[in-house]
Amino acid sequence: MSDESRQNFLNKIRVQKDLEQATGSVIERHGRGAELVSKFAALDRVDQDFIYHWAGIVSESNEELAGHFVNRAPSAFESMDQAGVEAWLIAAMDQFDNQGLGTAIEALENLQDFSANYALRHTSCLFESVATFLQHFVKGLGGRELQIASDRDTYTDTEKLFLPDSCNEHSEYDLNFSLFKLTAVHLWAQSWYGTWRYQVVERLIRSEDPGAITAVFNRLECIRLDACIARDLPGLHRQLESAAYRSEEHRFAWQEWRDDAFLLTGSSASALDSVALIADFISRPLPALKRYQGDVHLLAVRDAMFARVEREKAAMKQALAELQKALEQATEGDSDDTSNPKNLGEFSLTEDGESGSGGDVQFELSYDGEPVEMTPELEALLGSIMQDFGEVPDDHMAGINPSMYPEDLESDGAGQLGATQGDELSDAITYREWDYTRQRFRDAYCLLSEFDVPTGESGFVEATLEKYQGLLKSIKKTFEAVLGESKLQRRQSQGDDIDIDALVEAHADFARGHEMSEYLYTQYRNVERNIAVMFMVDMSGSTLGWVNEAERESLILLCEALETLGDRYAIYGFSGRTNKRCEIYRVKRFDESYTGEVRERISGIRPKSYTRMGVAIRHLGHLLNMTRARTKILITLSDGRPEDYGGYKGRYGIEDTRHALLELRRDGVHSFCITIDKEAQDYLPHMYGPANYAVIDEVKKLPLKVADIYRRLTT
Amino acid sequence: MPIQAIRTEENLVTEEPYYEPVGDEIEVYAAAYRNQLPILLKGPTGCGKTRFVEYMSWHLQRPMITVACHDDLTASDLVGRFLVKGGETVWVDGPLTRAARNGCICYLDEIVEARKDTSVVIHPLCDNRRLLPIDKLGELLQAPDEFCLTISYNPGYQSVLKDLKQSTRQRFVALEFDYPNAEKEQLIVEKEAPGIESAVAKHLVKFGTMTRNLKGGGLDEGASTRLLVNAAKLIVAGINPVVATDTAVALALTDDTDMLKAVHELSRSVF
Repeated sequence: MSDESRQNFLNKIRVQKDLEQATGSVIERHGRGAELVSKFAALDRVDQDFIYHWAGIVSESNEELAGHFVNRAPSAFESMDQAGVEAWLIAAMDQFDNQGLGTAIEALENLQDFSANYALRHTSCLFESVATFLQHFVKGLGGRELQIASDRDTYTDTEKLFLPDSCNEHSEYDLNFSLFKLTAVHLWAQSWYGTWRYQVVERLIRSEDPGAITAVFNRLECIRLDACIARDLPGLHRQLESAAYRSEEHRFAWQEWRDDAFLLTGSSASALDSVALIADFISRPLPALKRYQGDVHLLAVRDAMFARVEREKAAMKQALAELQKALEQATEGDSDDTSNPKNLGEFSLTEDGESGSGGDVQFELSYDGEPVEMTPELEALLGSIMQDFGEVPDDHMAGINPSMYPEDLESDGAGQLGATQGDELSDAITYREWDYTRQRFRDAYCLLSEFDVPTGESGFVEATLEKYQGLLKSIKKTFEAVLGESKLQRRQSQGDDIDIDALVEAHADFARGHEMSEYLYTQYRNVERNIAVMFMVDMSGSTLGWVNEAERESLILLCEALETLGDRYAIYGFSGRTNKRCEIYRVKRFDESYTGEVRERISGIRPKSYTRMGVAIRHLGHLLNMTRARTKILITLSDGRPEDYGGYKGRYGIEDTRHALLELRRDGVHSFCITIDKEAQDYLPHMYGPANYAVIDEVKKLPLKVADIYRRLTT
Repeated sequence: MPIQAIRTEENLVTEEPYYEPVGDEIEVYAAAYRNQLPILLKGPTGCGKTRFVEYMSWHLQRPMITVACHDDLTASDLVGRFLVKGGETVWVDGPLTRAARNGCICYLDEIVEARKDTSVVIHPLCDNRRLLPIDKLGELLQAPDEFCLTISYNPGYQSVLKDLKQSTRQRFVALEFDYPNAEKEQLIVEKEAPGIESAVAKHLVKFGTMTRNLKGGGLDEGASTRLLVNAAKLIVAGINPVVATDTAVALALTDDTDMLKAVHELSRSVF
C-alpha cells in the first residue's frame, strides 16, 4: 500500500468514526455508507467539523432530520460556501419548527433549487446597490452630468445611462460588479468621445434601414471607443479587454473587425468615420456584442439631444446677450440708451491649444477681438455643446437679438396685479431690487406680504418621526456631542488646574513690582452657543412632489435636533408671482416655540408659484438682523435658480439674489444654500461664494444632509 | 544664556525651493513687498501656498518665520512674554515681534484658526503705521521696511465661525491660489517625486482632476497637488499605483464607502 492510499484509508476510518459519533448510529462499510464516508473524506476538515457541529444541534430537535442533513451536506458543499449551507439548513429547520418533519426534509432535498437561488442572490450585482457608486464614478470620469437609471434595456439617451436591474452573467460577485461598472463606462464613453454627435444622429436616422445600420455602427463605435479609452484610461482598457469576450471565437471575430477597421483606432478618428465605414461592413456577419455593450436607441438619443440642443442654443444666446449687454454698458459708461443696437460687437471663440481628447476642450471667448472672461455657466454650456457637435456651431454664436433680454419688466409685472389680492396688499412692505443691467436699484419695486402657512395634515409629523426614528436618534446624538464639546478655557479666576502660562506671567509681573493677575486657572467648560438661524424654504411650484416632501421631512428632523441644541431658529417659506406679489409664509417665528401648531404648519408647506429670491432674502435678512445673536445664519433650502415672471430669470435673477446676499453679508449675516439642483454648481458659487453651498445629489438624502450640514456649519 | 526659542538667522532659506509659478504671483508679491504691503494667500489646502512663501523668502533673501495658527493661539503667543529666571524676569520675543525687529517675513498659516484677539496686534502692523504695540514692555515697535506679514486662509472651510473679518482682510493684498493646470501639475509631480515615470505622473494628474470633478457632489475637496505628490512618492518607492492612490489620496479624502469605492475605481481606470 502506497503512502498516499494509506493516508486515504486512515482518513476514511477517522471520518467514519467521527460520523458514527455525530449521528449516533453505525455507518455501513459498504454501499451508501461507504459512499458517504468517501464524500466526507473529500471535504475540508473545517467543513467536516461544521457538519458535525450542526448535526449535533439538529439531532437535539430531530434525529431523522439530522440524518438527512448529514447525507446531503457534502453535496451542499459542492455548490455553496459555508454560509450558504448554513442558510439552507436554517431554512429547513424553520420548516421543521413551523410545518413539521415532512416539509423540513423536503426543504433539505430541494438543495438544487436552493443553491441556484442562493448563487443568484449572492453573486449577482444589483442596480440599487451600485447606483450611488456609479453616479460618483461617472461624475468623476468627467463631462456632462449623466444620470444613472435602471431600465429593461441597456442604453443611453445622452442625458441618462440606462442600466439593467441586476447583472448575473458571472458566478462571482466581483466579476458581475465589474461588468456593471464597465457597462456604464462604455455608455459614458459614447457621450464623452462623441458617438452621438448631432451630425451622426441625423445621418443614422435618415438612413434607409436604421435597424441594420445602427447594429453595425454600434460595433464600429465600440472599436473606436475602446481605442480612445486605451489611450486615456489604460487601467479601464485592461478591464474592458478582460471582460469583453464570451469565447475565443468571439474574441477572434472582433479581432477581425478591428483589423479591418484599424482606421477607427487612430486618435483623430471620429464617429463620422464609423458612419463612413458602415457601408464596408454592412454585408458581413455581425460579431455578438461585447459583454459590456448596450443597445442603441436612436430615437431616444434623438429626442433627448434635439431637446437639449434647442435648450442650450437658447441658453447660449441668452448668456451671450447678457454678456454683450454688460460689456457694452461697461464701455459706454452709464448711458441708459441700452436699446440701441448699433455698433454692437461680435463674439468669437478660439480653442485653447492645451485641449485634451473627448469633451475636454478649453475655450477662450473674445468680444471684438478682446478676450472676455467666461462665467462657469457658460463654460459648462460650451462643454456640453462640444459633446454634441464637436465644435461650437456658428448659429450658436450669432443672431443675438439685443432687445430680447431683459424683457420689459414693468409692463409684464403690473398686468398681473389682480384685484383679488388687493386687500392683502394694503399692508405690504416695499423692497428695492437690484437691476444689474442698469447697475442701479429699482426703488420700492417689490411688494411683499407675509402670510401664515395654513396647517397641514396632522399625521405627517408622526409618520416622518416614525420613518426616520433611527436617523433622528443619531442626528440628536451628534448634535448633543456638539453641545457637550467642552473646551479648555485659559486664564480663569477659578478652575480645575493651574494655568502655567498665566502663573509665569503673574510671577513675572510680581517680580517687577506690578500687580499679580488673579486669572491663573484653566477650566474645561462648554462654550456657550449664541447662534440665530433663519431657514428660508423654497415654496415654488417646481418643488411639487418629492422635493416638497423631502423639504418638510428635513425641517421636522432639523427642528427636533435644534431643540436639543437650543439655537434660536425661525422658518419661513417664500414664493410669489411678479414683483407686485412677493409672498413670505411664516412657519415659525424666532420668538415662537416648537409647538404642535408649528409642526402642523411645517406639514402644511405646499408648493406655490415662482422663486423671486432677492426680495425674500432682504426681508428675512431684516428679520434676522432684528434678533440679537453673535452669529447669524440664513440657510436657504432650494431646488433651483431664482425665477419669476417679468424677466426675473437667468442673470438678472442671479445678480439680484447675489446683491441681496452681499447686503446681508455686510450686515454680518452668513448665508448658506442647500440645493438639489444639479446645475447649481454653475451659479451658486457666484451667488453665495465658493464654500457657502451644498448640492445634494439625491432628494432622499435631504433630511439626513440638512442636519449634517447645519452641524458642520456651526461648529 | 539668552533665552530665545528661534534664532532668525537660522530661518534664512539658503537653497532655492522648487516652485512652479502659475501666473504673475512672484512679481505681485515682490511688488507688494517693496511697497510694504501685507499679503493674504487664499486657496485650497495643498496647492502650494506655504511653498510659495518659502520661495519668496529665498527670492527676496529675507529670513522667514512661520507660525501655524491653532485655536489656542493668543496675541501674547505672537508678541512675546516675560519669563522668570532665577528670580529675575526675562522678556522673550514672540515670533511676530522677532520678525518685526529683524525685518523677516512672518508667515501666519491658517490665520482663521487663531483666537480673535490676535487681530489686535495684526491690524496696526498691516496698515501704513506698521506698528507693533508691546504693552508689557511699553514699547511701540516700528517695523523696518524689510518686514513683511503674510497670512494664509482657506476659503473652503464651511464653518461660519471660522471666517476672516472684513476689517482684517481689507488690509491685505490678496493672491488667489488654485491647483495648477494639468501640464504644470504633472511637472510639479515629476519634480517633487524624482524618479516617477512621466506617463505615471500624467495619469496621477488625470486621476486628481477626476476627484476634483466630484467636489460638491460628495467630496468636500478634490485631491490636492500635495496628495498627488505623496502618491507619486509611494509609487517611486515601489508601491503599486492603485494602492498608492488608495492610501495617499482616497482614504485621505473621504470616509464614505460609496465614494471611496468610486475613487478607487477611478484610480483603477487610469492605471
